Amino acid sequence: MDNIAIKTQNLVKHFGKGDTLVEVINDATFEIKKGELVALIAPSGAGKTTLLMMIGCVLTPTSGQIWLGEEKVYDNKWLTKEKRRIRREKIGFIFQAHYLIPFLNVIENVTLIPQINGVSLKEAKKEALELLDYFGIKDKANEMPANLSGGQNQRVAIARALANKPEIILADEPTAALDSKRSVDVVKMLKKIAIEQSVAVIMVTHDEAMVPLCDRVLTIKDKKVYNLSIDEYKNKTVV
Amino acid sequence: MINLAYKDVSHALGKFVVTSMGVGMLLGIVMIMIGVYRGMVIDAQVLINDINADIWVVQENTLGPFAQSSRVHTDLKDSIKAIDGVDKSANLTFQNIQMPINGTDERAFVVGYDPFGEINPINPKTIIKGRAILKEHYEIVTTDKLGYKLNEKIALGRHEYRVVGITHGTVSSGGDPLVFLSLKDAQELQFSYSNFRIRSDRERGIKSSAQQLVNCAVATLKSGYNPQMVAKEIQKYKHKSVYTQSQEKEILTKNLIKMASKQIGMFTVILIIVSTIIIALIIYTMTLEKIKEIAIMKLLGVPNSLIIKMIAQETLLMGILAFFFGLIFSHLIYTKFPKRVVLQNPDAIMLFIIVIVASIIASLIGIKKVISANPAEAIGG
Ligand SMILES: Nc1ncnc2c1ncn2[C@@H]1O[C@H](COP(=O)(O)OP(=O)(O)OP(=O)(O)O)[C@@H](O)[C@H]1O
Ligand SMILES: [Mg+2]
Repeated sequence: MDNIAIKTQNLVKHFGKGDTLVEVINDATFEIKKGELVALIAPSGAGKTTLLMMIGCVLTPTSGQIWLGEEKVYDNKWLTKEKRRIRREKIGFIFQAHYLIPFLNVIENVTLIPQINGVSLKEAKKEALELLDYFGIKDKANEMPANLSGGQNQRVAIARALANKPEIILADEPTAALDSKRSVDVVKMLKKIAIEQSVAVIMVTHDEAMVPLCDRVLTIKDKKVYNLSIDEYKNKTVV
Repeated sequence: MINLAYKDVSHALGKFVVTSMGVGMLLGIVMIMIGVYRGMVIDAQVLINDINADIWVVQENTLGPFAQSSRVHTDLKDSIKAIDGVDKSANLTFQNIQMPINGTDERAFVVGYDPFGEINPINPKTIIKGRAILKEHYEIVTTDKLGYKLNEKIALGRHEYRVVGITHGTVSSGGDPLVFLSLKDAQELQFSYSNFRIRSDRERGIKSSAQQLVNCAVATLKSGYNPQMVAKEIQKYKHKSVYTQSQEKEILTKNLIKMASKQIGMFTVILIIVSTIIIALIIYTMTLEKIKEIAIMKLLGVPNSLIIKMIAQETLLMGILAFFFGLIFSHLIYTKFPKRVVLQNPDAIMLFIIVIVASIIASLIGIKKVISANPAEAIGG
């Protein structure tokens, strides 16, 4: 149990009710270990974002259970009032768009959550600069997001997701806006972070070429979530 | 800890300042409006204060001489002097006329007084050039607002008058600029304006009684006498309406300018309400404009307290900035108004409180909306 970062049990998510009922996920039961990079691959509308947002304590499941590390956070209801504390302390979010705060410059965007978590400004800045250096955009630290290219902003967004030293990174199509070379770089980097910091990473992708870089594959078929090894996924043995 | 309000405002500083300036101008106009109201009330009493008589004696059963027309005989001034307690007395005339200025006519209010009498209605402090009237005829003192120069000749009625003095800040109870004439000139102007009028009166067999009529008599009291008691005494013997100075002021504020001040007062109240709504709307939309960024912050785990602090600080900053712009704006333009505008600190403070309360309420509504926003929607679409 020690090395489990994410665990779900019979997780269900329906939207609406009656005539407008949309069943998106009827059963998600899986475990993801620390240090694993997991690809989440499924057709559009299958419920990938929905699943990610439930794990991220953003979207409330219909029923089921969720553990993040040792902490059980959901058991047919949220077990904590401080979902936002869990998000800012345990989770790093990356999206297809960068979603940087437009009125904060690069380094302020990256240090915002660590500062709220109680890290001193000096320490937060030092770590943020290291991250920005790692992504080759240290010289942009004092720029506003509006003055950066899409790729640069996406790297800032990834740096932001890492800045709070999360246990879990939830990445919703982080490479969709990048060219294939950069995409491979980002995925490799996520893999490196997963290993080095024993972070569990779930990465939504439509790009089959990324699969070999990952440890496992989550997929959704007929509203059920499957957790497969790379081989199982390639041979389509289960699904 | 990073200050989000500071960051947000400095990121869009121009827009923030321009918006505050716009709101500030609105507030400035509200301040001017309140000032116009205050000015009216003050104007109403300027003349009475300058005359500074304890007792006003007017035609029986009238609220004269300002709120209602009044005529009394010139000998009234002498007969009231016989009343115990009366120190000095004088006859006065009041009337509105049109003054010819640069080919157009300007409305003015004429005060006629006896330059050799006991009570001089011109407050010496108000004379900025020249002197008061010293001759029986054909001299005039005008207020600076009318734009006449010293020694200029002005044609009124059948005669020409020479400007011998210029006063500042002298207005009638209605805010019209004042001119002073000798009692005799003023009587003639009031009661026999033109040669034609005099001829037609003669033809009708009307003997001119002009020189025997004035609009009121005023009196000052010897020290130790109660104006109310003396007023009663005069009323008893002379069959006139008699008012003390404070009663006369009350007649003016309560009767004469009541409607006008109510009108301005109502307009001011409406203006305050409208600007409050506009400020509230601006602050509300300013908050909602940021709903996307706020949803992202919530998604990342930024606590509500920080978001509320940001909105509250921006709101207060806008309120304060707008108020000071308003203050500057109103002080820049208030002297340009033709009638008296009086900007008073308590009014400004009251307006400031209204603005801040309105801003806070508006931001609370905005905050409520923002706080209930779904963070999942931040990444939707
Ligand atoms: N708030 C909502 N109300 C109703 N239905 C919703 C809501 N959010 C998502 N859905 C539905 O749930 C399903 C899954 O949506 P989701 O966004 O998770 O798909 P996805 O796998 O991420 O797709 P994509 O690859 O296009 O991003 C879709 O059919 C969508 O219409
Ligand atoms: Mg999606």
